Amino acid sequence: MALRDWPIKRKLTALLLLTSGLVLLLTSAAFVTYQVVTFRQTMRDNLSTRARLLAANSTASLAFANDADATEVLSALKSDPHMVAAALYDQNGHVFATYRADPAADIPATPQPDGYRFERGRLIGFAPVAQQENARLGTLYLASDTEAVSDALRLSGIIALAVLAIALLAAYALAAALQGRISAPVLVLAQTAAAVSEHQDYSVRAPKLGDDELGKLTDAFNQMLGRIEEQKQELQQYATELEQRVAERTRELEQSNEALRRNAAELAASNDELDAFAYSVSHDLRAPLRSIDGFSQVLLEDFAAQLGDAGRDSLQRVRAASQRMATLIDDLLKLARVARAEFRIERVDLSTLAREIVSDIQRATPDRHVDFAITPGLEAQGDSRLLRVVLDNLLRNGWKYTGRQLAPRVEFTAEDKNGGRVFLIRDNGAGFDMQYVDKLFGVFQRLHSAAEFEGTGVGLATVRRIISRHGGRIWAESAVDQGATFYFTL
Amino acid sequence: MNPGKILLVEDNPDDVALTLRALKSHNITNDVIVAQDGVEAIDYLFGTKAQPAPRDLPAVVLLDLKLPKINGMEVLQRIRSEERTKLLPVVILTSSDEERDVIDGYSLGANSYVRKPVDFVEFTKAAQQLGLYWLLMNRAAPPPRAS
Amino acid sequence: MAFLITVLASAQLLVQTPRASEHHVKAVFLFNFAQFVEWPAANTQDMRAPLIIGILGDDPFGSILDEIVRGERIGARPFEVRRYRQVADIEACNLVFISRSEVARIPQILEALRNRPILTVSEGNDFAKQGGMIQFVNDKNRIRLRVNLEAAQAVNLTISSKLLRVAEIVRPARR
Repeated sequence: MALRDWPIKRKLTALLLLTSGLVLLLTSAAFVTYQVVTFRQTMRDNLSTRARLLAANSTASLAFANDADATEVLSALKSDPHMVAAALYDQNGHVFATYRADPAADIPATPQPDGYRFERGRLIGFAPVAQQENARLGTLYLASDTEAVSDALRLSGIIALAVLAIALLAAYALAAALQGRISAPVLVLAQTAAAVSEHQDYSVRAPKLGDDELGKLTDAFNQMLGRIEEQKQELQQYATELEQRVAERTRELEQSNEALRRNAAELAASNDELDAFAYSVSHDLRAPLRSIDGFSQVLLEDFAAQLGDAGRDSLQRVRAASQRMATLIDDLLKLARVARAEFRIERVDLSTLAREIVSDIQRATPDRHVDFAITPGLEAQGDSRLLRVVLDNLLRNGWKYTGRQLAPRVEFTAEDKNGGRVFLIRDNGAGFDMQYVDKLFGVFQRLHSAAEFEGTGVGLATVRRIISRHGGRIWAESAVDQGATFYFTL
Repeated sequence: MNPGKILLVEDNPDDVALTLRALKSHNITNDVIVAQDGVEAIDYLFGTKAQPAPRDLPAVVLLDLKLPKINGMEVLQRIRSEERTKLLPVVILTSSDEERDVIDGYSLGANSYVRKPVDFVEFTKAAQQLGLYWLLMNRAAPPPRAS
Repeated sequence: MAFLITVLASAQLLVQTPRASEHHVKAVFLFNFAQFVEWPAANTQDMRAPLIIGILGDDPFGSILDEIVRGERIGARPFEVRRYRQVADIEACNLVFISRSEVARIPQILEALRNRPILTVSEGNDFAKQGGMIQFVNDKNRIRLRVNLEAAQAVNLTISSKLLRVAEIVRPARR
């Protein structure tokens, strides 16, 4: 597991152990080293002391060449198992007496300068032999092994290790016990956090254990929780409010939907009524007219003689009036149909449409020749049937109002004005006074009398209705006796 | 002149009078059977206990749509559903210019749809044309074999 | 000629060596005795007064003794070597070596030196028995010491126990 993933407890304990271990180790090492150093020093001192003692005891032997005595003196070293060898040299540097713990031990043939040193695993030393400060009588050589040092070292080492082990154990125990001081708050905090996130319970608070950084962390954490709780509550409030509002809104919507549905139903009903109305109008209104006209004609035919001119004239008027009424009914019907007709948008070839209408007109009235100028390739998006009605109306109007012209001309073309396509139908007919242009498109509004030009005054209203349904605009410009131009957009 | 009969289904007596007059004025002298509503038309065509169906079918039926009791479309439907009268020429002659009626009429199998003009002069012209066409020019289907 | 000289020289060496080395050793011993013996301090002057080694009788050491003690000191006291013909000649002296030539007169000499703090050393066989303090004894080519401690103590001469250790201590023959 990577070091950083260790639980805090383990980290802390390890840290404490490591620190104390290191300290103990260093201390032990220092201790052992000190031991060794002092021991060596002690050893030297001891050897030195012993050497002096021996030397002092050997003065007479050397002075009086009593090697037996000297040997005896040296042999006292036997008691110390660590003394390896010893020798006395006379004034001339010749070996005078020796002691060997091990018969194989070597002894320098000649004495070296005074002093002690560790050499090849041994402590050796050369000391002067002299009676007080008098002339040097000879030299004493001592050699001891360093077993003592090794032993001491070993002993120190063992002691140190033992102490280390015990101390580490103690440190471990202490660490394990004390690390809780640090880790407990952290763990508590971690647990609290886990609990919070698991159960989404923001009312939980972490207990504050102490006023150190962890305590501050705990405080901050708790504050955060508090704030989250607040916000949660606020949010819930908002949510509830929102729900309420949504419910209200939904209710309102439902109500308006209801209203709309009712309206739609009413509209549908109206439409149906309109349908029924139109239907009956088609039949029921026209039939009597037919009778009026028909029997008037019968009168005219069968009783021409009895009627006289005035009578005939009256009957003609009657007939005319009833026919006019029929036309009116038809136009109204057309207007009504336009209002509720299905609206299907497609690409409509206006030029072709216009040409068909023109040929219809020309076929119907072959004796009147009007010059129709239709720009080819005029297209628009819209309902073809309704657009046909528009063009039919406008073209027929053009045709109608140029009735008195010598060279009647009706033009259907398009311009690009103000970034849009504008269609126009222009005639060079009677025109109208712009003063009354507002009334042009009103139902039953006419700007000319029936004597001048016949008409029901419904046509343009229908046209405007259709253009509106296409989302377009229609307007007209004219001057009396200078023709009129009708513009429309789709 | 084709001796065929004309069945005129029309409820408006004025229109009946005018139609008869119009036909007469153009020397169309064929018999005109008048049914004043849908029921009468059907009774005539298919017969009743009182009055059996005629041996010969009319040469053409001029059918108005707006009829009391059974309306024109139902009559047409009935005519087209019977083996006997399935191929009988039916001309819808009505004031209605409603697209719906036109479509329905053709859908149900009418042979022609004519709108009655208000102008009587026009009306008589139309009557003449109809008579000339359906009685003279048009060749009706042969009567079905007697079953 | 050279060859002859060499032979003669080596012959002399050969002849002289045992005797020369024996006397050398004894001379060294005499010198060393000074380190192991304490004379009673009469007055402070003795601190720097030379330590006198006397030779009574024929001098067997030749220049050896002189060379050995040259430049040496005991403490602050330098050495001095004197030669006496008669015991009466001995005035200030710390250590006297009675040569073999005087062997016959040892008792008289010792009697004359009685009560005087002078270390008496000799080679005679019964020197120690006769009351001499230190006697050189030849023992298998070694020079051993025979010490008459009472004699030394009688004149307040302290002989270091170290010396005593390497010596043979004898009791004088009761007179």
